Amino acid sequence: MGISSGPKPFLTVGVLFILLSPATGFSAPGRPRVINCRSPEKETFTCWWEPGDDGGLPTTYALYYRLEGSETIYECPDYKTAGENSCFFSKNDTSLWVDYNISVVASNDMGKSVSEPVEVDVVYIVQPNTPESVMVSVLEDNHGPYLRVDWEKPQSADTRSGWITLVYQLRVKQAKDETWEEYDAGMQKYYNVFSLHSGKEYMVQVRCKPDHGFWSEWTTPVYIQMPDYMPKERSMWIMVAVISAFLILLFGWTMNVKQNSVKHCLLPPVPGPKIQGFDQQLLKNGKSEEMFNALVIPGFPPTSTYEDLLVEYLEVYDDEKRELVLNEKNLIEGSMKSKSTSSDNDSGRGSCDSRTLLMEKCVDESGTEQELSQYGEASWASSDSEGRDNPASPGLEDGKVQMWPSVLSSPQSHNFQQQHPGGLRASHHSVPEISCVSPQVQTCCGQQDQLEGFQFSKPGLYRYAQMYSMDTIECKHVAQEPQSQSQSQSLSAEYVEVQTVNQENVLLVTPLSNPEGPNPELSDFSGEDYSKVRDVTSDNVLLLQRDLSVSQFVGDYCQDQIGQVDPCFLQQQQQEQTCKLNAHLHHPASTLQEDMRLAGNGYVDTTMMMS
Amino acid sequence: MARRSQSTRLHLAVTILMCAFVSTDGVDMNDLLERASQLSDKLHSLSTSLTNDLDSHFPPIGGKMMRPSMCHTSSLQIPNDKDQALRVPENELLSLARSLLLAWSDPLALLSTESTTLPHPERSNINSKTKELQDHTNSLGAGLERLAFKMGPSSEALSSLPFYNNNLGQDKISRLANFHFLLSCFRRDSHKIDSFLKVLRCRAAKMRPEMC
Repeated sequence: MGISSGPKPFLTVGVLFILLSPATGFSAPGRPRVINCRSPEKETFTCWWEPGDDGGLPTTYALYYRLEGSETIYECPDYKTAGENSCFFSKNDTSLWVDYNISVVASNDMGKSVSEPVEVDVVYIVQPNTPESVMVSVLEDNHGPYLRVDWEKPQSADTRSGWITLVYQLRVKQAKDETWEEYDAGMQKYYNVFSLHSGKEYMVQVRCKPDHGFWSEWTTPVYIQMPDYMPKERSMWIMVAVISAFLILLFGWTMNVKQNSVKHCLLPPVPGPKIQGFDQQLLKNGKSEEMFNALVIPGFPPTSTYEDLLVEYLEVYDDEKRELVLNEKNLIEGSMKSKSTSSDNDSGRGSCDSRTLLMEKCVDESGTEQELSQYGEASWASSDSEGRDNPASPGLEDGKVQMWPSVLSSPQSHNFQQQHPGGLRASHHSVPEISCVSPQVQTCCGQQDQLEGFQFSKPGLYRYAQMYSMDTIECKHVAQEPQSQSQSQSLSAEYVEVQTVNQENVLLVTPLSNPEGPNPELSDFSGEDYSKVRDVTSDNVLLLQRDLSVSQFVGDYCQDQIGQVDPCFLQQQQQEQTCKLNAHLHHPASTLQEDMRLAGNGYVDTTMMMS
Repeated sequence: MARRSQSTRLHLAVTILMCAFVSTDGVDMNDLLERASQLSDKLHSLSTSLTNDLDSHFPPIGGKMMRPSMCHTSSLQIPNDKDQALRVPENELLSLARSLLLAWSDPLALLSTESTTLPHPERSNINSKTKELQDHTNSLGAGLERLAFKMGPSSEALSSLPFYNNNLGQDKISRLANFHFLLSCFRRDSHKIDSFLKVLRCRAAKMRPEMC
């Protein structure tokens, strides 16, 4: 029977059922639905439907189809091959490039229902089967391991004749990952996957698609384990890292061990102040008095009588030689100059070098020295002696000067030489100065007739200071100098004895009666006051000043101080005592004080005093 | 006598040269077929996308009224299944492909004209694709002609499939319906062409099993 006659008996039966059984709960089946139709190889195809409500009664389904351009309805030839609710169209039943009008009819005792018709062209519903025989293997090349995936086409697809053309696709992911990496393999049946992590497990799947159709299903996953692989470069880097880490550790440990020496090297310790007698504990205890008392050095400052210090003193006496020397300015100057070359090495000993004119060694070691010493006129005396002794004292010319200390060590008659270029100069200056000063003093201050002063280097002064009135000497010098050499003048030197040095570094001197016969002029000064140390110049010259009312002082004229020296110098030449000097002298206290300079290091050296 | 022999020899030489030229023209048949199948593949893909664009806004109207059997190329006898197709000789297959292609040159021109004024939201897209369709068809036709020349004289026999309509209709719905119908016919025929050419391709490439 044809399809056309099929529905009619069903229909009548269904209507009868409906009429006869109104309230049995059964009903006609619901409308089925054709899900889809698929052709795996463009030769056959299968249609599946979805049954509707069966209405409580056993329902049968039938698929009917019709080709375009023909009204003939055919029923599905094969309900079995493709499973339940399917219809399989074999090769014989399949026509290409022709529309199929397919519908499914569900029928039960109560009735039947027809599905929506579906238009199907076989060539448009091609979906191949999955690829087969997927094989994954691990291969290696220079860059490391990689995967090679091989597969076969689905058996049903006839690609050999070109009837169907398939393109393949595969996807890879790590077993634990979620996202797949897809690769298009085209029409080939193998693929190489690179850049996979070593030591990991991977899954591989393959699928295919016809040139104009649907993708197939994915194959079942294939699991593959990547081998552990260490690239050569990485191993090298690991070695490098390990070795450097080891070296760093070693270095760190060494640094730690030698912490202190490293600290010393990098951060040299800054010397902190060391206060002798400073006790931190006392400070911590909070008793400042105790601490401060601890700081006190016993025996400082020296409070002993200064008589111990000034036991020895120089004897300065007047001498014809000195006169000669005095008169011979040039010689003196020359000697001065020659000796000025020697450097002043006053290193705080307070040596009577340089500026000191007191104890300059005469060229002649023996007598001249004594003469020199006798002069006791600060630098002047020494310079004078030197100058005087110049012809007779080759030493002077040679510039032989000894340091004060040596002089000091052996007091009194001994050869003492001082090395004082400055002193020489001073003396040099001073000689004329003496000549200039003294007369000036006398002339300028002659009216004043007050000036007295001595220059001596500190130690020398202290020890061998022979104080004498400048005035006398100066006056004499003045008398002599302008006339240069002819004058024979006995220098009247007043000898004083340094009695004490009080705490204010004031030298208290008393006149001393010269065993050699003091100059009568000197006696004038026997009752003179003590000299007071005004200041100590930078050239180790002690500036004394007359005590009491008389402002007596000795300017360190012949120091290197330009201000003071120059005028004197100039005036020497001119044999005119500088009025400047005069000025200096005129205003002794004030100006000289200003111009005074500290002798030597600018401080009182206590060592000599205490020694 | 001598002149005749000379002229005869000259003709012979020219013929030989021409034969040689013909037989050894640069492009291999396999490559030609490869190129042709690629073109036909592209052609069919274009038509499919064009159909989708057309159907995106309007459901297939008059799908039931107009059947593909009413296509103007339906009269052409073609194999309906694989067995039949594989039995057809190459030149006949080629001839079929060429005939189909030729039958669509006029309708495609019409479609191209109509697509410019088509009352559709995707008109610009449809228009460009239709133009492209036309170009591909023309180039494929030229390629197939060359191929036919290579294959031999028997492939030169073509079936005539005339197309008589010169417009798609007057009203908007008719125009859209007719456009849709024509396009569906073309889509099917392009699939046919593609299939035949790919069969030809694999049949010719006996030396390359990996391709087929």
